[in-house]
Amino acid sequence: MACVWFPGWPLERADAPSGECCLIVGEAVVVAASPEAEAAGVRRGMSRREAEGRCPGALVLERDLAEEARRFDPVVEALEGLVPQVEVVEPGLAFVRMAGAVRYYGGERSLVERLVEEVDGAAGAGRCRIGVADGPFAARWAAVGAVPGAPLVVSDTREFLAGLDVSVLGYDDLVSVFRWLGVVTLGELAGLPREAVASRFGVIGLQAHRLASGEDREVVPRRIPGEWAVEETFEDPLQLLDQVAFAARRLVAGLVTALRREGVACHRVLIEATAGDGGVRTRVWRSPDPFDEQALADRVWWQLRAWVESGGARGGIVRLRLDPFDLSGEGRQLTLLEDTSAWVEAERALARAQALLGPDAVLQATPQGGRMPGERVAWRRWGEEARPPERDPAAPWPGATPPPCPALVPPDPTPFQVEWDGGMPVRVRLGSRWESVLTWSGPWRVVGRWWKEEPPFDRYQLVTSAGAFLVAVSGEGAYLAGVYD
Amino acid sequence: MAVFLPRVEQGETRRAVPAEVPLGFSLEPGRILELVGSPGSGLTRLGLSLLAGPSRILPVVALDVRGWLSPAAAWETGVVREHLVVVRCADRRAWLRVTAALCEGVQAIYAEVPAGIGDQDLRRLAALARARGVRMALHPLGARLPAGVAHVRLRGTEVWWEGLDRGHGRLAGRRLVLEASGKGMAGIVRRVELEDDGAGGLRVVPGLAAGAGGRAVG
Repeated sequence: MACVWFPGWPLERADAPSGECCLIVGEAVVVAASPEAEAAGVRRGMSRREAEGRCPGALVLERDLAEEARRFDPVVEALEGLVPQVEVVEPGLAFVRMAGAVRYYGGERSLVERLVEEVDGAAGAGRCRIGVADGPFAARWAAVGAVPGAPLVVSDTREFLAGLDVSVLGYDDLVSVFRWLGVVTLGELAGLPREAVASRFGVIGLQAHRLASGEDREVVPRRIPGEWAVEETFEDPLQLLDQVAFAARRLVAGLVTALRREGVACHRVLIEATAGDGGVRTRVWRSPDPFDEQALADRVWWQLRAWVESGGARGGIVRLRLDPFDLSGEGRQLTLLEDTSAWVEAERALARAQALLGPDAVLQATPQGGRMPGERVAWRRWGEEARPPERDPAAPWPGATPPPCPALVPPDPTPFQVEWDGGMPVRVRLGSRWESVLTWSGPWRVVGRWWKEEPPFDRYQLVTSAGAFLVAVSGEGAYLAGVYD
Repeated sequence: MAVFLPRVEQGETRRAVPAEVPLGFSLEPGRILELVGSPGSGLTRLGLSLLAGPSRILPVVALDVRGWLSPAAAWETGVVREHLVVVRCADRRAWLRVTAALCEGVQAIYAEVPAGIGDQDLRRLAALARARGVRMALHPLGARLPAGVAHVRLRGTEVWWEGLDRGHGRLAGRRLVLEASGKGMAGIVRRVELEDDGAGGLRVVPGLAAGAGGRAVG
């Protein structure tokens, strides 16, 4: 993955004078400073008051993200001419997925050279820094370390990260604890046992350890049900910016509500707009943290405004579509009734239970496909991110055991004694006693995968005076598959 | 002793209400609910369904002693998938410490209680749960909880399985009759019938079995 970063992008605006002290300020914090201001001691992230104190005569301009996004659009267009689906984080910062394009362009080096050419052509030479690494986190910090015009290509991501200071993680409280413990670099953090870090610091510590180890957040492949995408068609094309803003906000609200109902939030969103002349424009925006409603609405608005003002939506916008992907449950936007402190306390208690019992005793689960109840659950340790299911739960799975699901499912096949009379179950053995079968259903045949030497078996639902059971019967005997308790 | 009367229902419609609303035995902060009954009387699914309400806004925990608990059954009863954490603890000595640790932060817990936990330990745990305002359902696998621990005791008395008929059909649902007693019921023993079709949470069948069973003694 390549990170394309323009450190001084906010300063490229027309009303920012060159050769003078100038500060671009957003939410009372300096987001960009001219070289003259930096020479006076102003740094990014400094408060506005402190910056004005160090550079009293500086021209201070409020940041205009929509205008920056409009100016950044030609750069993204140029990048997309090389590699599709460029992901924009904010104006001046974008990621380019290189995995598929490397072979097409004859190698990583030649692709990076083409990237530099295109970016220089669109935005002027020597203004952009490019970093290339395995994941977005490492690529971002490679771009920070790169020199304009000379991309930094990281061949060993883990080794590159090992030398970085822990402050690059961005978790201020956690970083101060790490320092107090003597853990100063990401390499030292990655050297700690992951279970110990997870037990002591919980989910955030686990995330920090993953980043330090070069295991960036795993991107979930784009297998999102179609109904989660939201779309709106307009009979009268939207020509005015106000109309576009209103439609965008309504669409974003619908999307975020639908995702929240499922307990997830998206890290990336594909914005697709159809113009009156039939042209379709698409752009992907991404965020390291899951989008909340405001953040997503801002990005959609910036993008639509950039398209409208640059003449990219001739005849107005007639259709708008938002397609979320790369979903996760982390950092989900809280609803009104949710209590953040309760979440923190719960996570602390679960981490304590994990420390007492071991990491394999505190578990979460996600559904996956299968015919037997035990197959339909994919377990993972609490704190680990859910992986895509091995078997698609939305697939038809003909012959699957119908609901309700047994409340108790043995993790391993458990032998179960059934007495038969003329092919009909008569009694079952529960502990030391036999119980009569009051009624049953079955057999339901399951044909195993013969190429894996899985034998076929039959399933029965048996009701006795001591409960209802799901039983699998094969040539080798009967096994308990679930208890309807 | 549970009575089982398997039968096939023919499209009967009945007004049903969510189990957490009107009965007085939903999980309440600082109140312990005890689930008592013979194995197979459907109390595991009932216990999991009690987590459905709190799971809408907070993480909930199912403490699994036997190692057999199926989260799929909890999802069917309406528990939010992302908020359910299953803690497996087969060790009787560790169970008390783990449950106490969970009470310090988790606000809704369904816990199986292994046999052999001392009465004093259970009383201390109940005091902690009350002090922390934990919503807790305890399902003892051995003897009943000692007096004074549970605010409401639910005893499963009867279960009807529906949908099966000697080789035909499939388990389509069940009806469960419970006796609710204890301090939270003001000394009155109430009988409640629940219906569970596997597609959603448990629902109360109003009026059918809700006749007062009499005043509890002791």
